Amino acid sequence: MTSSALSLAYVVLTLAVIAAVTAGRRVRLWRVGRPAAVNWLHGVMALPKRYLVDVHHVVGRDPFAARMHAFVAGGLLGGSALVLLTLVPALGGSRLYWALIAVLFAAMLIGGAMVGRRRYPQKPARLSGGRFQVLPLLLIGYATGAFLAALDAALAGTVWPLGWLGLWLAAAGGLGLVLQLDRGPMRHAFAGALHLVAHPRDGRFEGRRETALLPIDLDAPRLGTATPADFAWNRLVGFDACIQCGRCEVACPAFAAGQPLNPKRLIQDLAAAMVPGGTNANYSGSPYPNARPVAGRGGPEQPIVGAGAMIHPDTLWSCTTCRACVEECPMMIEHVDAIVSLRRFQTLELGAVPEKAAAPLAELRYADEPQGRPLKARTDFAAGLDLPLIGAKGSADILLWLGEGAYDLRYGRSLRALVRLLHLAKVDFAVLGAEERDCGDVARRLGDEATFQRLARENIATLATHSFRRILTADPHALHVLRNEYPAFGGSYEVIHHAAFLDELVAAGRLDVGALGIGVTYHDPCYLGRYNGEIDAPRRLLDRLGLSRVEMERSGKRSMCCGGGGGAPLSDIEGDRRIPDIRMAQASATGAGIVAVACPQCTAMLEGVTGNRPEVRDVAELVLDAVEAARVKPVARGVETVT
Amino acid sequence: MIANADALLKPLTIKGLTIRNRVMSTSHAPGYGKDGKPQERYQLYHEEKAKGGIGLTMFGGSSSVAIDSPAAPWAQISVADDSVIPHFQRFAERVHAHGAKLMIQLTHMGRRTKWDTENWFPTLSSSARREPASRTIPRAMDKNDIRRVVKAFAEAARRCKEGGLDGCEISAAHGHLVDQFWSPSVNERTDEYGGSLENRMRFGKEVLEAMREAAGDDYVIGMRMSGDEMIADGLSHEDCVAIASEYARAGLVDFLNVVGGQARDELSHAISLPNMSFPVAPFLFLPSAIKREVDVPIFHAQRVTDLATGARAVAEGHVDMIAMTRAHIADPHLVKKLTEGHEDDIRQCVGAGYCIDRIYVGGDALCIQNAATGREATMPHVIPKAETTRKVVVVGAGPGGLEAARVCAERGHSVVLFEKDDKAGGQINIAAKATWREALSGIPRWLFAQVQKKGVDIRLGTEATPDKVLAENPDVVIMATGGLPSLGHAKGHEHAVSTWDVLTGKVEPTGTVLLYDEIGGHNAASTAEVLAKRGCLVEMATHDLQVAQEVGTTNKPIHLRELYKLGVVMSPNMELIEIYPEGNRLVAALRNTMTGAEEERVVDRVVVDYGTLPVEGLFGELRGRSVNDGETDLEALVAGRPQRWTGADGFALYRVGDAWTGRNIHAAIYDSLRLCKDL
Repeated sequence: MTSSALSLAYVVLTLAVIAAVTAGRRVRLWRVGRPAAVNWLHGVMALPKRYLVDVHHVVGRDPFAARMHAFVAGGLLGGSALVLLTLVPALGGSRLYWALIAVLFAAMLIGGAMVGRRRYPQKPARLSGGRFQVLPLLLIGYATGAFLAALDAALAGTVWPLGWLGLWLAAAGGLGLVLQLDRGPMRHAFAGALHLVAHPRDGRFEGRRETALLPIDLDAPRLGTATPADFAWNRLVGFDACIQCGRCEVACPAFAAGQPLNPKRLIQDLAAAMVPGGTNANYSGSPYPNARPVAGRGGPEQPIVGAGAMIHPDTLWSCTTCRACVEECPMMIEHVDAIVSLRRFQTLELGAVPEKAAAPLAELRYADEPQGRPLKARTDFAAGLDLPLIGAKGSADILLWLGEGAYDLRYGRSLRALVRLLHLAKVDFAVLGAEERDCGDVARRLGDEATFQRLARENIATLATHSFRRILTADPHALHVLRNEYPAFGGSYEVIHHAAFLDELVAAGRLDVGALGIGVTYHDPCYLGRYNGEIDAPRRLLDRLGLSRVEMERSGKRSMCCGGGGGAPLSDIEGDRRIPDIRMAQASATGAGIVAVACPQCTAMLEGVTGNRPEVRDVAELVLDAVEAARVKPVARGVETVT
Repeated sequence: MIANADALLKPLTIKGLTIRNRVMSTSHAPGYGKDGKPQERYQLYHEEKAKGGIGLTMFGGSSSVAIDSPAAPWAQISVADDSVIPHFQRFAERVHAHGAKLMIQLTHMGRRTKWDTENWFPTLSSSARREPASRTIPRAMDKNDIRRVVKAFAEAARRCKEGGLDGCEISAAHGHLVDQFWSPSVNERTDEYGGSLENRMRFGKEVLEAMREAAGDDYVIGMRMSGDEMIADGLSHEDCVAIASEYARAGLVDFLNVVGGQARDELSHAISLPNMSFPVAPFLFLPSAIKREVDVPIFHAQRVTDLATGARAVAEGHVDMIAMTRAHIADPHLVKKLTEGHEDDIRQCVGAGYCIDRIYVGGDALCIQNAATGREATMPHVIPKAETTRKVVVVGAGPGGLEAARVCAERGHSVVLFEKDDKAGGQINIAAKATWREALSGIPRWLFAQVQKKGVDIRLGTEATPDKVLAENPDVVIMATGGLPSLGHAKGHEHAVSTWDVLTGKVEPTGTVLLYDEIGGHNAASTAEVLAKRGCLVEMATHDLQVAQEVGTTNKPIHLRELYKLGVVMSPNMELIEIYPEGNRLVAALRNTMTGAEEERVVDRVVVDYGTLPVEGLFGELRGRSVNDGETDLEALVAGRPQRWTGADGFALYRVGDAWTGRNIHAAIYDSLRLCKDL
């Protein structure tokens, strides 16, 4: 072993010690968080799979970034670990072993060059600048240096000046990397690894969607999150895991609309807020669009939200809870959980809800319905149709949950189509009628957990008095709440969305459909696609109707929100554009004459788009059209000619 | 979306009967009854409204309960025996199949009918006072008559129930027998049925009590009544509120259907069926006032032509159901268009009164602008797509041309529409310039919006020539070039100007004007109003018995009222025989059609209306090149078959509307619909 190589081992060892100390400072910050139940053994055992499969499934959507990361991370971690092992004399003396090390650092060098190429001469807007712009230099420095030292050792010191040069380069580059381990790009490596081990929603790695909001104890001394210390410690780790890749920012509908929300910045603000005397001054990515002025200061026990704090309330209320950011995040950060937790404190402790959201929440409290309309008016849309009440009927195979859309003139049309289809298919179904309260979705997303929990308990009590096999709903928000969020309160049901149910009916031959032969593009509702993973059934259904289906530039689990979720239409935070206008432009770009929807919120938002645009049709309306097309076959008429 | 649409789309439950929304059509007499029964035509007419989403459709205006209230004069319905029940059952099935409810109006007309028809029985009333409108002098009813008629009402109610109808109302409005007892303008009795209001209400109460007993208390029975008779010796608003309160309090009625006015003479009849000269919903205050006093649902009809007005009336609590009867004649699908988000496609009633005016002269109700209404068996309200698409050129964007372009576009054909004017509408644009006739412009406005929406290639300001038409390589060419006014044939007619010249402003007469009319329609009467309003001294001469003789009963009184108010001299029974200049004035010679005596007038202008003659120039140039020599197969048209010529080896040429021969708006639209629906 050459002496430069031996020195490299000690340099790496020193760097590792500095890294541990630096990381330790960050770990102390996380300890202010609330306790969290973590299955450590399982988490550690599962780490390789979570990292290599789950994380890389997300990272791999950008193949260049995936290769770049594989080279850099593989070279850096692998190479450095092997260098440390050279302190074992048997290995340190092996030229072949040093050749292997050289190969690894060569790979890292390629990765470092790719990092540089991505950022120079012009970095993409979604990437942060600042310390991140130095990153390629440090990576290239460390990789080049270690490569040279290892190469010299592999060649038995024949190029010893290069070996020594490499040693210094590696020391300089490496020091640069570890010294900013607590605040620079490299923080994601150790915080991210720990986040994967101690993830607050570890079911996500077991194939479960895990999208239900978690209940809070309404008797707790503080409801929701006011300060970083109110977050569980592993949530704080999650914020620190952010590598500022900006994929969330690209996916965020509020960001696109110029509302003051940027999920990346939000996570960075949360990370900055946990530091005593913390400031947001070091952030170097895209700002919140039309950012409202804030002091930009925080601390572990300081309020996070407010003009005098880190995050402006408008930022919180801009979120549609569409989970596009979560879906895109390679570090598995749970942005929506954080936002709702912050909203809970605003709503429950401060009563500081956006002006236009206050009245609906009050109505929900007093009238179980966000506009204070009588519950029995929910079935008005179906007057003239036979809509059996489960109370009168005793039991039914299918309980049709009508949801808030039933009050809406436009969505009533979709529901009428659905009811007619259920009759045509001879489905044994019934509705709750005046017994159906609001499911609580909006209350919960707006942070009014108390109202949500009361509505959930009361609905569960009502449902317990009736006999049915499955719940059918055309409202993905109700579906999500009933299927995923009521179990925490003792109500477990088999819930099916009407697109999937109609697909079953058509597949089973219970609805005879003709071919419509028109162009359609399907808009995935967030609460169906991302929240519940249901992206195939609606498409299968549309394909059965003889439609020529085209996809929008964003679809499936990566679809773009209509702007209607999370109470956003109520909070109504001003931006530059309206989210549904952006989404409709994507639909128009497909050239399809119809945008098929499957959610009352999406219907309302997209129908609100003015100008020349595709027609908005619910999947049930299209199925009914197809059924009617099958029934009214055109009568062939002989052409008369002059003889 | 219109404001308050949700108020219209709420169900209303009356005694367990749930009506799906708040939009209805009141009972009226379209003249479709056959042998006193509502048969296929009648049923299809109402079924179309049920298809179109209406909540409640009521039929059979003035359906008779007894054989001394004849059903024949207006082709109405007799509920006086059980033979009507199977028809009711079939009718109810048809309407219920589309989710709507069906009710009928029952009445005894009393003195408001004719004795010289059907059974030739004397007419009846509370007292022997003649009704001007029907010209009958009734017999004052004795106790036997009262007992018999009360029983007849009861039997009729039972027949409605057995016929599966969802309910019925009695008519105590427009001067029928029940309100002939209420109204002091008729009732001069001194027994327990006359004198105090309590006594005058007795007959109607006995009727409703007997009906309830016969049909069961769960059967929906309502009453149509006036909220104010608006005549000096009639029922005041306070009387009407008292009657409504008493009947509702006694549990005799499940709903009240309130109108304003009565109909005992020409003008009051016109006021009770307000035409386009009235504002929308002119009498909404009457049901609103009664609604405050009673706790049964209130219905109301009277020129509610648009959903926004109806929605406001319901949302503000003036009424529980808004009746849009004529609005449904113009567009039976208006509720569906609202619920399906196509309210911009609603063909709105313009209040021309063409539908009603036809029935009062013994015709059938037809819509001035929708030729499918009342012809559901043969004419589609929703135009089906053609199997083969064709290239169609339509020349002229008046009502006939616009309708042809609309129907062809709905059929899926590729349509080019030429119009030499820079605005679509044709002669309607001229007619609409005349004072209160402005609302006619709604007809081409809707048609034009539809052809725009359906992608018709519209070439305004482009006069069609043979070359331009042939350049389109058409399969079908439709001439809808309309007509031009005739100046008639009196000697010296070249000195006259037409009513068009006045309305378009081509001439601006001053001084004294003789307006001579040989048509008897709206044209001359409304032109006389325009001239008089401009300050001319106008004499309107006609060889008819009366000016505006051909104008219907809901419009003529308005013309006459205006002409009298404006001091227009009306000279009927006069024929224009000569015009000649004298100095810078004109002398018009008139001859009395009865005596033959001739008179002369020295005037500044002679304006004449002899109708229009077809514009035929382009047709003449094209017919030789067409495959059909411009001929229309009339039998195919009537039978609903496509025309014989396919256009495979050239184009087929047809004429519609006044280009064929001068008639009216409905004729032009009907020509186009029935030709183009099979193209």
